[in-house]
Amino acid sequence: MTALGFAWRSLVRQPARAALGVLGVAAVGALLLDMLMLSRGLIVSMQDLLDRGGWDVRVSAGDLPGSGLRVPHALETAEAISTLPSVQAVLVIRSASAQIDRASGLPLRTAFQGVATRSTDPAGARLRAPWTILRGRDADASDELVIDERIASEFMLEPGSTITLRASCVADLEALPATRLTVVGVAEFPFQTTNESTAGGTLDALKTACGGNVGHDADLILVRSKGDADGTAAAIRAQHPDVRAATNTEVVGRLQQTGFTYFRQISSVLTTVTVSFAVLLIAVLLTVSVNQRLGEVAALRALGFSRLRVVKDVLSESALIVGIGGLLSLPLGLLLAAGLDRILKGMPGIPVALHFFVFETGALAVHLALLVATAIIAALYPMRIVSTLPIAATLRDEVIG
Amino acid sequence: MKRGTVIRLIALIGWLLPATAGAQDTQLPTVLVSRQLAESERLTVGSVVRLATDASGTRSQEFRVGGIYEPTPDPSRLGQVPRAVRLHLPDLLDMTRPVGIPAGAEYISSVNVALVNPDDAHQFARDVDARLPGVVALPSGEAAGSAGPFRVLERFHLAIAIVTIVAATVFLLALTIMLVDERRETVGVLRLIGLPVRRILAQILLEGLMVAGVGAIFGLVLAVLSEQLINQFFQWRYDTALVFVRVTRDVALTCVTIAVPLGASATVVASWALLRRGGLRLARR
Repeated sequence: MTALGFAWRSLVRQPARAALGVLGVAAVGALLLDMLMLSRGLIVSMQDLLDRGGWDVRVSAGDLPGSGLRVPHALETAEAISTLPSVQAVLVIRSASAQIDRASGLPLRTAFQGVATRSTDPAGARLRAPWTILRGRDADASDELVIDERIASEFMLEPGSTITLRASCVADLEALPATRLTVVGVAEFPFQTTNESTAGGTLDALKTACGGNVGHDADLILVRSKGDADGTAAAIRAQHPDVRAATNTEVVGRLQQTGFTYFRQISSVLTTVTVSFAVLLIAVLLTVSVNQRLGEVAALRALGFSRLRVVKDVLSESALIVGIGGLLSLPLGLLLAAGLDRILKGMPGIPVALHFFVFETGALAVHLALLVATAIIAALYPMRIVSTLPIAATLRDEVIG
Repeated sequence: MKRGTVIRLIALIGWLLPATAGAQDTQLPTVLVSRQLAESERLTVGSVVRLATDASGTRSQEFRVGGIYEPTPDPSRLGQVPRAVRLHLPDLLDMTRPVGIPAGAEYISSVNVALVNPDDAHQFARDVDARLPGVVALPSGEAAGSAGPFRVLERFHLAIAIVTIVAATVFLLALTIMLVDERRETVGVLRLIGLPVRRILAQILLEGLMVAGVGAIFGLVLAVLSEQLINQFFQWRYDTALVFVRVTRDVALTCVTIAVPLGASATVVASWALLRRGGLRLARR
């Protein structure tokens, strides 16, 4: 019988303790997997969000897009950027706060994004805004807009409906003019947070909503390169030294150095604690189990089992407990990650489409490597016990004791 | 005051130019400088700096550093070094007021109110809401709302703690089953000499309580010792005064309240199956 088969029989002989050991490893393994998913989850998710739509360079006035600073003379800047040879298309995004009137009660506060494309390339000119149309079509005219699901359900709107909107493009103290716009589609906005609602349209539609008072600034300029994002960002920086141009990877890198560090640190701390906890507990379980079977091990040695063989038995037992527990930890970890993700997404300012826990094959590989290391390290002490066991003395003690 | 203006001011701190000190410096308006900014720009109390609201330095104005302050730790800005200055509100409004807007017509983002009796906060907020339409008043404790970063992190840590407790309980049960099994013969002998099951169970429960109690105390000592280390590491890592770990009396009590009954229960549950067997069977080798 192989060492693995022998270890399996040892475990089956004590089903309660084996099952509890496996369950314990499964719970710890699930937590470990989650922490590994958390360590890079935000970065991977943010990169995915930024890459959606194919815009690979972001031009803003601040170090990070969304810092509140605006790009001055945005349309002229966009025109100039679109003439760069490496640029396929440029999209200007101007955001304003707006209110949608209700028949009764307080109006709903929303963000209104106005976009305008600039391109010298016919393919680039057809590129659309960075939102995804769920129903209806995208807004093209200056009296059309698309809305998110929240506005659609709250006001029971569908493509073809009209709404009265008051947008404020310059200052919150403005007396907001009422404008009637036609809803032509329901869209998903990638950076929309859980506690806000968003509408979108052309820059002309935003101008209409703001009574023509939209100014010349923009919150963000998105650029699609012809393949060389780094070169395009460098060319934009050279052309416009007063603005910040960064590729999506650079934006994620900056976020990594600031906003995301807390979760990376906490994931490192909890990973270390979890692995130490697992090693300690499996080592104790195996040690107690081996100590209870010293007579049995001595008898096997007396029957001709080699020292290496009994060591292999103990290692196989550890591998079985950790292996089965590790397998169970995968679905358990994914379930737990979904729950923890839901909790963390309750934070204000977190985009709905952003996830804290993202499954990656890299995380799975590290998880497996850590579990293998746990199985080996936890088995070291019990392996030493069985390998140095004095056969005759142990058998005598068993008989006399 | 518009939030964007403040951010712009903070963002332009790198533009600060320490100027030569002179006799007229004492006449200059004063500002407070964050410790981190003072360290990076080597500013001291009395230094003269020039502030502007844009990168080109238009409408710049000189100020004297009146003090250096430790910024209030903000978990939502963790990892961002707070390079900031605090101005007297009239000075800030003078700098940021758009051309053509008369003094006194500016607006501000929030007003903090200190009440004579803090217990009146809810009533005061209700009164303000009723009398000033368009203004939202909230007691400080509720300003962050139920979805504030602190609350969310608290819920996240609680969820992690629950999973850890579940894993620990399972392991504890496995361990106690083995330990109880090890003492099968002793229990068998006790049964044979006439000790009733209830008496043995009480003994096991007492023993479990003592072991769990010692374990809980050891855990608390470990937590208190590591508290300082964890805080020092993260405060160094993020250059912040934020306290990351605090073992409070409530936290310690919660831990003991969970750990001790859990440990004792695990011992009793593990022993129960053993005690249902006959004394002779247990004592048999």
